[in-house]
Amino acid sequence: MLNPLLITVRESLRYRGRESHWMWLLHRVSGLGIVVFLGLHIFGMSMSAFNPALHERMLEAYKTPLFAVGELVLAALLIFHAVNGTRIAILELRPQLWEKQQVATRWALIITFALAMPTILVMAWKSVSHFVSGQ
Amino acid sequence: MAVTTATSGRTVRYVQPIVQGRSRFERAMWLFMRYSGLALVFLALSHFWLQHLLIGTHAITTAQTVAFWGAQGQPVTVGQLLFRAYYAVMLVLAVGHGINGVRQVAYDYFGHRPAAYKALMGAVVSIAAVISALGILALLLGAQASPEALTR
Repeated sequence: MLNPLLITVRESLRYRGRESHWMWLLHRVSGLGIVVFLGLHIFGMSMSAFNPALHERMLEAYKTPLFAVGELVLAALLIFHAVNGTRIAILELRPQLWEKQQVATRWALIITFALAMPTILVMAWKSVSHFVSGQ
Repeated sequence: MAVTTATSGRTVRYVQPIVQGRSRFERAMWLFMRYSGLALVFLALSHFWLQHLLIGTHAITTAQTVAFWGAQGQPVTVGQLLFRAYYAVMLVLAVGHGINGVRQVAYDYFGHRPAAYKALMGAVVSIAAVISALGILALLLGAQASPEALTR
């Protein structure tokens, strides 16, 4: 007997819903990733009012190589979730557009790429120059 | 208001076609997800780009938090009040959007096990309530200006 979690993951990947299904899956995964960071982030920032030393330590943790990579992932997840969420909201509020789902999916991916690529490149450049020069 | 789709010829409701027949709470949540999401596109992306592109993660210090929020016991400027309002609106919308998203995922995988679903959501809502309360309280109080942060 397979573990239910394993079944969930396997069937989510196996289901042949093509683009719409993959977008649904990515939306779900990106949303869960963002919500974990959101909790950590609100807690860390609120500590500036209650425990400045802990607040400072959390800001310093964001400057480590691990978070420098995590920040790039967060940028991709956030931008994808924002663009794809806009696609979902527009399509669901406008049933006339339901004939154009595949066009909308393609545009969502193009816009995500166009926004995420420069963002990630600039952030990666800032991080690399920080670690190289030490500033 | 209803529209007819071109190929299927079926008539569908113009608003909320997906949650028809669901409870009032589910319909309200469905609308909230759409409108909070659209607001968060602007709020969260502007916040992310300001902090990560214009300022940069490696330049963010506790002194910057004090400058954005204002220090406890010090007069608050109009700019700092606007920043606090921006963060407060974003916090409420993002936490609400996040809890409801997690609720939908939890329902999909644990909905057939009501005890597990309730325990999971109880934990999620409790943690979210504590973190949100800390965040809102911090925005009302302002940052603590630690001496070492100010002398940098």
